[in-house]
Amino acid sequence: MKYAFYPGCVSRGACPELYPASVKVTEKLGIEIEEVTDVGCTGAGVLSRDLSDPINARTLAKVEAMGLSSLMTICSTCQGVFTQANHRFKNEPEYREKINAEYLAEEGLEYKGTVEVKHLLWVLMEDYGVENLKPHIKRKLTGLKVAPFYGCYIRRPTSIIAPKGLSGRKTYLEDLIEIIGAESVDSSGKSKCCGFPILTVNEENSMRMVSDHTGDAKTKGADCMVTPCPLCHLNLDANQPTAEKRAGTQIGMPIIHLPQLLGLAFGFDEKEMELQRHIVSTEPVSRQLEVSIRS
Amino acid sequence: METTFRVYRFDPENGSKPDFATYQVDLPDSATVMDGLRHIRDEQDPSLAFRASCERGSCGDCALRINKKGRLGCTLKIAKTVKNGVVTVEPIRHIPVLKDLVYNLEDFLWKKIKAVQPWITPREPQPEGEYVVAEEQLAEVRKAMSCVMCGLCDEGCVVIKIDKDFVGPAALTKAYRAVFDPRDGQHNERLTLVSEPGGVWDCTHCFEANGHCPLGLEPTDRLFEVRDEAIRQGIRSGTRNPKVQRHYDSFLNSIKRSGWLDEGRLAIESEGLTNIAGLAKLLPTVLRAIPKGKAPLPYFHHKRPGAEAIRRIIDKAQRSKV
Repeated sequence: MKYAFYPGCVSRGACPELYPASVKVTEKLGIEIEEVTDVGCTGAGVLSRDLSDPINARTLAKVEAMGLSSLMTICSTCQGVFTQANHRFKNEPEYREKINAEYLAEEGLEYKGTVEVKHLLWVLMEDYGVENLKPHIKRKLTGLKVAPFYGCYIRRPTSIIAPKGLSGRKTYLEDLIEIIGAESVDSSGKSKCCGFPILTVNEENSMRMVSDHTGDAKTKGADCMVTPCPLCHLNLDANQPTAEKRAGTQIGMPIIHLPQLLGLAFGFDEKEMELQRHIVSTEPVSRQLEVSIRS
Repeated sequence: METTFRVYRFDPENGSKPDFATYQVDLPDSATVMDGLRHIRDEQDPSLAFRASCERGSCGDCALRINKKGRLGCTLKIAKTVKNGVVTVEPIRHIPVLKDLVYNLEDFLWKKIKAVQPWITPREPQPEGEYVVAEEQLAEVRKAMSCVMCGLCDEGCVVIKIDKDFVGPAALTKAYRAVFDPRDGQHNERLTLVSEPGGVWDCTHCFEANGHCPLGLEPTDRLFEVRDEAIRQGIRSGTRNPKVQRHYDSFLNSIKRSGWLDEGRLAIESEGLTNIAGLAKLLPTVLRAIPKGKAPLPYFHHKRPGAEAIRRIIDKAQRSKV
């Protein structure tokens, strides 16, 4: 199955390690992807939906024009915005037609409502399948304690993101962590907001969320946290030193992108997964990997 | 059904610390948690204090934390929530407890509801008789009219958990009800009011509130409607938080210019080009990011293919919503 690939802004900006890690992992698994290049930012939940819905309808129309029916994302925020917009396009045909007529027709585009948008996490668990994944695991990450951190947009609103029949989406990260031989560590904030959406508006609250989440993972004994969202990564990793300062505590919790964690299990080394780019040192992860390789 | 009730007990007058008391109840399968509490008070311990009124989910009086989830005690059946034979009942979180399961909603909810001024200020000129409003004009607003102000969406709110001053999804749902009422004459003033610090922009839009509303009113969606209407009216912040407007404008302009986000420029422009203290605050994060190759160069942001088409879409959408 071939996917149109939507990398989003951040994987080519402030989290440049995410893009290559995602491409390497999908290549390794033989998942065919083709980047959809001439499309815009989703609006990330910042832009009003009056503006972002036509832009996102255009992206989905482009995917249809490529002859594809699935769009793969590597960002929970992109995923969430697409899922909600696509829900409106599929369930409100009059609305979709209005957007087609007013915004897309002049480019000769039309969105027919046939595209499914799936995060890499969902692609792996729902389309690729656990059994097909297992043979690619070259080294079990035994002993590595990983706290999953979903963030908001890949979990809610539940009725759209994880409806009946797809409620397994609530534990995909834990499932994957165990499949690659690591230990999943439960933290209380794993499906809560990371604080990134209010970083500009209310930095104090945003930093409090960072120190609460990373501090809790540390208290629970995690070596690192893993997230499917580069915006969660930005706040939890790049802003962790600021959050530590505000909270008056040292945390030092490494934050790993989902494809990086998988890549390590598939045999890529830390440099190939560009862990050295992270702000919070990933040394505790490297140490544990050494231990698991030796044993 | 034989059930063990673990009930939060606290009486500030006797000076003892909060604790849980255990009661055994045996009620039919159809019994609700509120039936259980009433049974305990009537048959076992008359000192147990709790609030209850309508018994049908219409008043919000019995909002409680039941088996670690915010629920209405009167509509939740024991059989539906019992875990290993136990039902644990506590007051909702983030709130001062007066006695046992009775708490003070004043700061938690009522002050915030009043702060958004959830009453209709008649649009001028007022008609001679009644305002006549067609049903379809009120259809959307009716969602918020059903709110019973139980406070459970606020109880589950991740911002209120750390910041008691955030106005919260319950009050913003009330604001929605007034904002979209066609009889209201304070539309833009109201939108500015809820855009002030602690208002609609302080929400993380994490959709947590939707999962906590016992009536399915989807408070986060209502809040989005209010925010989008404010933007539609050209209100991108209140009067005391201009940074919010700078952030929105910078974000939008970046998409219009290049199709995607110029993250570095967004950070700079959000602070304000002449805000030396704000820009200086960004420095440590930037200095940490540069050696890691994680600080995208601001302003030198190439156009994505399709940027022109995206700009045309935004221009058209902005024109059509006015």
